[in-house]
Amino acid sequence: MKRSYRGVLLLCLVLFLNLLFTQYTVNLFFAQRYELTIVLAAANLLTFPLAWFIYRKEKRAGQ
Amino acid sequence: MEEKQTKISARDDNYTHNIHKSNERSLDRRGFMKTMVGAAGLFAVSTLPWGAVAAKKLITGENDAFPTKKIAAVSALKPGDAMEFAYPSEHEGALLVCVKEGEYKAYQNACTHLKCPVYWSKEDSELLCPCHHGKFDVMTGNPLAGPPRRALPEIELKVENDAIYAIGVKPYEA
Ligand code: FES
Repeated sequence: MKRSYRGVLLLCLVLFLNLLFTQYTVNLFFAQRYELTIVLAAANLLTFPLAWFIYRKEKRAGQ
Repeated sequence: MEEKQTKISARDDNYTHNIHKSNERSLDRRGFMKTMVGAAGLFAVSTLPWGAVAAKKLITGENDAFPTKKIAAVSALKPGDAMEFAYPSEHEGALLVCVKEGEYKAYQNACTHLKCPVYWSKEDSELLCPCHHGKFDVMTGNPLAGPPRRALPEIELKVENDAIYAIGVKPYEA
């Protein structure tokens, strides 16, 4: 079995995006920039299918 | 599983046979990735309420109407004086400073570091935070020294009929 870190790394990246989106959503909400808040919240939602997709693609890697 | 097995053949008796970590392999690479996908989902869901409230505010067009509240009579404050009040709600402390004759500045005085009440130091002409010696510029609310990194939220004022009124809080700039 050869190790593959790609899936883990990609998911780390997705989680990092999650952090950014969440933080900016909250900050922009308090800055009353509501359109951007909605855009970022939607972007944050889209990271879930992305993560799921990466998982499905990578779960068999290295086996 | 084999955990009940007590008889170990000589070939396998390598001094580790008594170690039974039944969950040893449960957090393998795949399990870890699953956890991360779950975390992504959690993050996604956690921002939903923010988006929803933002959408509601956009649709109803309600932009946080602030009450108009009388703070003090003009004659009550001489240049260099300050006075505390509460705005917009009773639980949000604020500070009104008479910078010079006829010029007033007001801020919500919860320090942007850890929320200690900021006070006006007449001698130094600065807004000071007693907790960790944060300093703020009285003209802009910007942090000058110490731990705070964000400006104090400024309260919009109007002077009418010899009285000073608070009419709103300026939104954060981001
Ligand atoms: S709370 Fe004001 S400086 Fe820390």
